[in-house]
Amino acid sequence: MGTATKTTLATGESVVGAVTSRTVLGVTAATVVLAVACLMQWVAPGGAVVGIPVATLLGGGLAVAGCGIAVLGAGSRLGYIETTPSRATSLAAGCVVGMLWAVSGGVATTVAVGGGDAWLPVAVVGGVAGALATVLPREDAGATLPAAAVIVGWGGAIAASGGGGGWTWAPAWSSAVFPGTEIVPVVAVGGALLAAWSGASAHAGFGAEGRQAGAYALVGAVVVGTLSVLVLLVGFVVLKGITPVLTGASLTGGTLGLPFVDAAVPWPTLPFVTNQTGGLYVTIPGVFPALVGTLWLVFGAVVAAVPLGIGAAVFLTEYAERGRFTQLVEVATNGLWSTPSIVFGLFGLAFLVPRLSGGNSILVGQLVLGCMLLPLVLLTCREALLAVPDAHRDASAALGVTKWQTIRSVVVPAAMPGTITGVILGVGRIAGETAPLLLVFGGAPYPSNTPDVLGSFSLMAQPPFVTNDALLAPASALPYQLYTTITAGVFPKDEFTTAAFGWGTALVLLAVVIGLYAVGIASRRYFRRKLHHE
Amino acid sequence: MMRRVKRTVAARVTDPVVGVARSAREYRSRTGDTAVAVQAVICGSLGAAFVAFLVGSQWTVFPAGVFLATTVVGWRREQAATGKAVTFLMTVGTVGVLALIVAFLLVRSVPAVEHMGVGLLGRTADPLWAARDGGVYSLAPMLVGTAITTCIATVIATPVGIAGAVFISEIAPPRVRDVVKPGIELMAGIPSITYGFIGLTVLNQYFYAEFRTPTIGSYLAAGAMIGVMALPTVVTISEDALAAVPESVKSGALAMGSTPWQTTKSVTLPAGLSGVSAGVLLGVGRAMGETMAATVMLTHTKGFPSPVFDVFSQYGETLTTVIAFEGGNASGVHMSALFAGGVVLFVTVMALSVGSQYVEWRMHRKLGGET
Repeated sequence: MGTATKTTLATGESVVGAVTSRTVLGVTAATVVLAVACLMQWVAPGGAVVGIPVATLLGGGLAVAGCGIAVLGAGSRLGYIETTPSRATSLAAGCVVGMLWAVSGGVATTVAVGGGDAWLPVAVVGGVAGALATVLPREDAGATLPAAAVIVGWGGAIAASGGGGGWTWAPAWSSAVFPGTEIVPVVAVGGALLAAWSGASAHAGFGAEGRQAGAYALVGAVVVGTLSVLVLLVGFVVLKGITPVLTGASLTGGTLGLPFVDAAVPWPTLPFVTNQTGGLYVTIPGVFPALVGTLWLVFGAVVAAVPLGIGAAVFLTEYAERGRFTQLVEVATNGLWSTPSIVFGLFGLAFLVPRLSGGNSILVGQLVLGCMLLPLVLLTCREALLAVPDAHRDASAALGVTKWQTIRSVVVPAAMPGTITGVILGVGRIAGETAPLLLVFGGAPYPSNTPDVLGSFSLMAQPPFVTNDALLAPASALPYQLYTTITAGVFPKDEFTTAAFGWGTALVLLAVVIGLYAVGIASRRYFRRKLHHE
Repeated sequence: MMRRVKRTVAARVTDPVVGVARSAREYRSRTGDTAVAVQAVICGSLGAAFVAFLVGSQWTVFPAGVFLATTVVGWRREQAATGKAVTFLMTVGTVGVLALIVAFLLVRSVPAVEHMGVGLLGRTADPLWAARDGGVYSLAPMLVGTAITTCIATVIATPVGIAGAVFISEIAPPRVRDVVKPGIELMAGIPSITYGFIGLTVLNQYFYAEFRTPTIGSYLAAGAMIGVMALPTVVTISEDALAAVPESVKSGALAMGSTPWQTTKSVTLPAGLSGVSAGVLLGVGRAMGETMAATVMLTHTKGFPSPVFDVFSQYGETLTTVIAFEGGNASGVHMSALFAGGVVLFVTVMALSVGSQYVEWRMHRKLGGET
């Protein structure tokens, strides 16, 4: 794989090529970073970085990258740089470059002439010319020169526009107006991606290796972008939420009364997590009721769904003949898995609420979330059961153990690790579920007391003989709390603004979910490693 | 001729009966009397408890108690028989949940259908949605809204998701994969309300301030956020599909001298294409059913953007958001209309799910694996 690159470097003739292509890739990466910073409004598109206007940097970056690519292409075509080009560039690349030529030509005509219908023929001619220029010549010229023309053109336009300040585009079909300050960075990112593809292809010396490098560059850019979005999301919540969560927190501020001896020791406090949300005497409102509500919800859902899911998986895998019935169950389970959460809420509202509590309640919330967890438990447990080698079952049967005993003491224990992992990941998912809770669960927006489920069981003389007022009453949960905070508007306490309390809640919720995911993924890796070492 | 037809018809009717009778005989010969009794009581009592619960009877507790008692006794005396019966009931229960969802959604949406007729889905004249004057409920604007957000989300999630799957399955070295894969899974785990809160405070404000959208909140912002949320589904399922392509197929291509990318592009991706499209279909289903982010970010103004691809208009309502937003304090025909919206949503997502299972099943059959 690496031989082509090695030879080009080793021959010494192509040092120019290697240096140029590296420069192109470096400049491209820097341009993307700057453009994204513009989009994120960390840098003003009309402003300056280290004394140079941003527009000049963006446009200059593109122009340099484009020129570099042109040098690489021309150098390779004229024989100064040793490469291994194919006979022609792929048709797909031709289409993309042709499209870009068409757009560039059309836009340039519109700007130059100032409206009218002149842009259409120019765009068509430009598109065809661009596509042909890409597809017809040998690959080293086709994959570089037309693309470089686009990149240099865009770079020049950006540099000349001065960052697009004061210029806007208001098409008739859109209610929105597109300002130049936002179009410029987007164009810069697009141009840089094109440059990355072409530059990477040139860097690997064109040909099959070059196409691989170009494709990997694009795929890599996409993956890096995705992960950056994830990091930005999590980082944003942490950044915004850490202040409210840490309000009044200290490592030694609280006291812990020791049992049996009449003494107290300093103890860490975290009022945001341990305080009530509403109530008269609360100075720092917290999310304790919501946290407890979420714990009860998750507990109830697990109790309802896990035995059901495991039992069904055992029956499907061990007892049922493969046929219509198992197929039906599989289709139903996969269907349940992809059923939208709000539909589960409607189901709970129509079926469970009138029969169990007559209104929003913890119990219905637990059962509805249990229904959502059920397919996941079933699917993961079934997968784990199928992964248990038949040799285990046969060995057990050969020892004269009955089928049920085999299932109980051989098959199910072997499948437990996989199932537990699946359950933990599923719990992480339902812990953050909000939509069904709106319909069947939620209570007051700022609760001043925590549901006391354990202490509320009471017996009575008529059926169903045992009841639990706390379980049949609405409560709050972390995601529900966040929703009510967003929608309720004014926050009743002075300590936080609505937004600050919302970000704090979001951070606690995120911590709970990420914690569950971390445990789930870590246990999966642990069991997998253990399995491989056996 | 006639007689033969008759015989075939008769066979078609009697064959299943004969089959059932035969399996019943086999079951009877293999199972002891006590076991049969235990299984019968378990199934019967649970069935009775379900019926009692369905009609809302306060006596539900008695058959449920019988069920529990029989299960406990059976567990000690006839564990194998009890275990089989209980796991069977659990399987039936799983299918039952789906059946109950279908039944209750349909039953509760009947009043809206009676009230609005075809207009429930097709009415495009004002008023579109009003509780006064006997009530007018047209789901048409929500259908358009759902279509718009789903399209935007799909356009974002599909190419990025497939690229991510290719990266994880084919390109990334193990060390990188160990970071990227949990990262993508974590993306699926971030609660949708958190996505919504970020979208509300960042994306909506950004489009409002920079692109001067008429309202804070637009289909584009919500669709983009939903696309990010649907991304992990596409990645995970497509990656499974690519990993399921037999190693021998890939090695064969590599041995022919093709580069890894040529192998991916011309061998692995085409072979796993059904699985990848199954992932895309499920991702579309996820995007369609996504509720909280859209509820928080959209404007809840019902109407048709003109032209229809004007994703910045002041309108913003989808099937999911209208249910989540109005479901808390709706009643009568209004509530029934929301249930009808739920039916449309459920049927569409179910069709996507079944479709994706079908293409996946076909792929496994083609690759010669287990179905």
